[in-house]
Amino acid sequence: MRQLVLQLARFGDLVQTRRLLLSLLAEPQSEVHLCLDASLAPLAALLYPTVTLHPVTAHGTALAKLAPQQQAAALLGANVPAFRQLSRLDFGRVYNLNFSPLNLRVASLFDPRTVRGHVWENGQERTGQWARLAMRWSSMRRIGLNIEDFWAWHHPFPLAPEKVNPPAQGRGGGLGVVLAGRESRRSLPPKELAALVCALLDTRLVRDDAPLTLLGSAAEAKAAHQFLRELPPRRARQAKNLCGGTDWAGLAASVGGLDLLLTPDTGTMHLAAALGVPVLATFLSSAWCSETGPYGLGHRVLQAQMECLPCLESQPCEQGVACLRPFGDARLTRYLATGDARHLPEGLLDLDSALDVVGVVFTARAGEDAAAAKRARFRQFLARHLGAGGAWNAEPVREFAERLYAERDWMAPDPESSAGRIFGGSIDF
Amino acid sequence: MRVLVVLPLYGGSLPVGRYCAAALAELGHQVEVFEAPEFQASFHALRGLKVTADRLQYLENSYLQLVSQAVLAKVETFEPDLVLALAQAPLSLQALKRLRRDGVATAMWFVEDFRLFTYWQGFAPFYDFFAVIQKGEFFEQLRNIGVDNTVYLPLAAQPNIHKPLELSPVEQRRFGSDVSFMGAGYPNRRMAFRDLVRFDFKLWGTEWEGDPILAPFVQMAGARVTSEDCVRIYNASKVNINLHSSVQAQDLVTGGDFVNPRTFEVAACGGFQLVDRRGLMAELFETEGPQAELAVFDSMGELGARIDHFLAHPEERQAFAERGRARVLAEHTYAVRMRTLLEFIAARRPGWPKPRTAAPAADGLPPELAADIGALLERLGLPADAAFEDLVWAIRQQQGALGEMDAAVLFLDEWRKLYARKNGSVG
Repeated sequence: MRQLVLQLARFGDLVQTRRLLLSLLAEPQSEVHLCLDASLAPLAALLYPTVTLHPVTAHGTALAKLAPQQQAAALLGANVPAFRQLSRLDFGRVYNLNFSPLNLRVASLFDPRTVRGHVWENGQERTGQWARLAMRWSSMRRIGLNIEDFWAWHHPFPLAPEKVNPPAQGRGGGLGVVLAGRESRRSLPPKELAALVCALLDTRLVRDDAPLTLLGSAAEAKAAHQFLRELPPRRARQAKNLCGGTDWAGLAASVGGLDLLLTPDTGTMHLAAALGVPVLATFLSSAWCSETGPYGLGHRVLQAQMECLPCLESQPCEQGVACLRPFGDARLTRYLATGDARHLPEGLLDLDSALDVVGVVFTARAGEDAAAAKRARFRQFLARHLGAGGAWNAEPVREFAERLYAERDWMAPDPESSAGRIFGGSIDF
Repeated sequence: MRVLVVLPLYGGSLPVGRYCAAALAELGHQVEVFEAPEFQASFHALRGLKVTADRLQYLENSYLQLVSQAVLAKVETFEPDLVLALAQAPLSLQALKRLRRDGVATAMWFVEDFRLFTYWQGFAPFYDFFAVIQKGEFFEQLRNIGVDNTVYLPLAAQPNIHKPLELSPVEQRRFGSDVSFMGAGYPNRRMAFRDLVRFDFKLWGTEWEGDPILAPFVQMAGARVTSEDCVRIYNASKVNINLHSSVQAQDLVTGGDFVNPRTFEVAACGGFQLVDRRGLMAELFETEGPQAELAVFDSMGELGARIDHFLAHPEERQAFAERGRARVLAEHTYAVRMRTLLEFIAARRPGWPKPRTAAPAADGLPPELAADIGALLERLGLPADAAFEDLVWAIRQQQGALGEMDAAVLFLDEWRKLYARKNGSVG
């Protein structure tokens, strides 16, 4: 079957569409297409070489500076031919992953019966039941499902999570450090980051004389400079600053050769996970690893844990970004050196990536994950809902059934209901 | 007893709901049907509004609450002893709480696979009685969420629908074949039926598109088949294949638990079927020995050989069909199921149904009028001692212009509401 995935979001999202794309590619006689922003096409070609790409112009930072007529000419000039090609391809199934106006307008090219996720039907926007369910659990972010799994489970039988990314293994290229991210509060400031890098090198978690590669876009050049100033001269001499100096292929090559990538929640983090490079991620502020942690086995997350987390990046922090403090706590070095949970600073969790029938999950190596029990019950509920198997021998999870199932879910037909997503339109025993 | 059957807006439980209503009427109960499918067009109309997705969701939810309110209004008017909802029925949790508060017994017949249709976790605790087509693990799961009044109620056939037919030669040609399957094209069936193309084979039903091997055998271009035509197919086919559905194409015969409606329906039609063995089948039908009522298969490997055998032995097909039909008529009709359900409820709910104390409608009337009322009761299919309220209810079920006696009874009922009861007289 010829199938299309509509993914118009950014770098990290493109990488996190991997489980869905690989699930489609694993189908017999499959022909998989991907519609994405043109800026990401070279990366997609590296990540998904057998997928047919349909680049469109969606991201508009540069375009936004042009006059309206120039914007229209640029967008229409680029997108009309792309849309014409898409509309001629007669897709058997279209996965429209993002609840965004742009995605929905592209979805208007297709027979709504073939579209999963966010549907455009005769001018009416409609959200399938799986995405509606996700909107309901979005208020419980600490237990939330990883977005890569959420997207993949639009497919009735996604690829097993262990087949998505290779188990992480160091490649001998030293430590990579990702500077900042798009959401600045999620990133460690240069001082805290430098302390953590020194701790990793000093405690031999990465080879002491290992190369130190700084990664980021041109926008991170200043942050990279500040970071280098915070490093002891000996360490600074080990560093190679690639911020703004790589294209997608160069970035993939650099990341793919590392022993470890130290990063906040970024696209580069997902790229490393996709390439099987071990990740040590710092999650704080609005970032919560249940939702967007690195996919696959062999990754580690230092997750800030405070009452107010995860917060909204768009809202000002009234706590003085207190979730940053544990990352600057001297005990963190001691903890990393000894692995003794007693030294882990308060307000921090050290988590390892793991896999279950639903997808990726993070389990505490040190620190008490207050949401762990609830998260386990939630995943059991999801496993049942999705027909992921093996979960009916335990007690049912009434708390989630009552909270997450709405009457609309069972009273009206929906191709993305628990049965509809597997059986399609009609259920015949 | 009065029973309000609440149909779903859509889906496989819809015909089952209609069979339940017919069976309850056969048993002598007064049945009202809440025709939820009539509300589906309006529900779909909301999708033509071209509003934002969140607004649409709000409207859809509100509309379903309104439909639920309509069920409650029906309950208030009809005053049933039981509200019987079929799976997916539009009864909101709030409506179910209200019915419980008002002491109206509610039951759901959940004619779905609990592993696939997982929403029962949300609504089962709000029904007083929960009838299911699976056992064991499902019972345990229900108990765990506080549902104790669970009864195993396997599917069935409706003998006035599913019956032997005298087919015309044209019908026989159109609907007949050596081997047929009637149902949806799920992965295990698609894979399995590739082995059957060497036979005179017809595939009926939907969702068969996209398979070049099976395409020449798909009838009516894969259009939906009416219940009436299903019965013709079951009657006209020498061998009706009945393979329970599965979403995976590795194990084509899954050995699952519940028995599908097709098993009962083909048997009730006096048709011959080869059906895959199911966990709960042996307690419903004899499947072994000389008195076997169903011819079963355990693997696709043996299916082809069994078809060859039965095509060559029409007398054996006939014998299986007769024994199967006899068993269904004796034990597996919707009337039997409804009796079982009502007995289960009666055993668990002391004082149910509440006796209705009203005097017979014809009581105290002059002989001539009493005779007219008696004739009216007979015409409406009510017992001679039916109460006045039941008579009024039955008259209101009629369509079109009413006769003078019918209208006069309705008039009397309204007059009493206005005057007699107000003055303390008996209604």
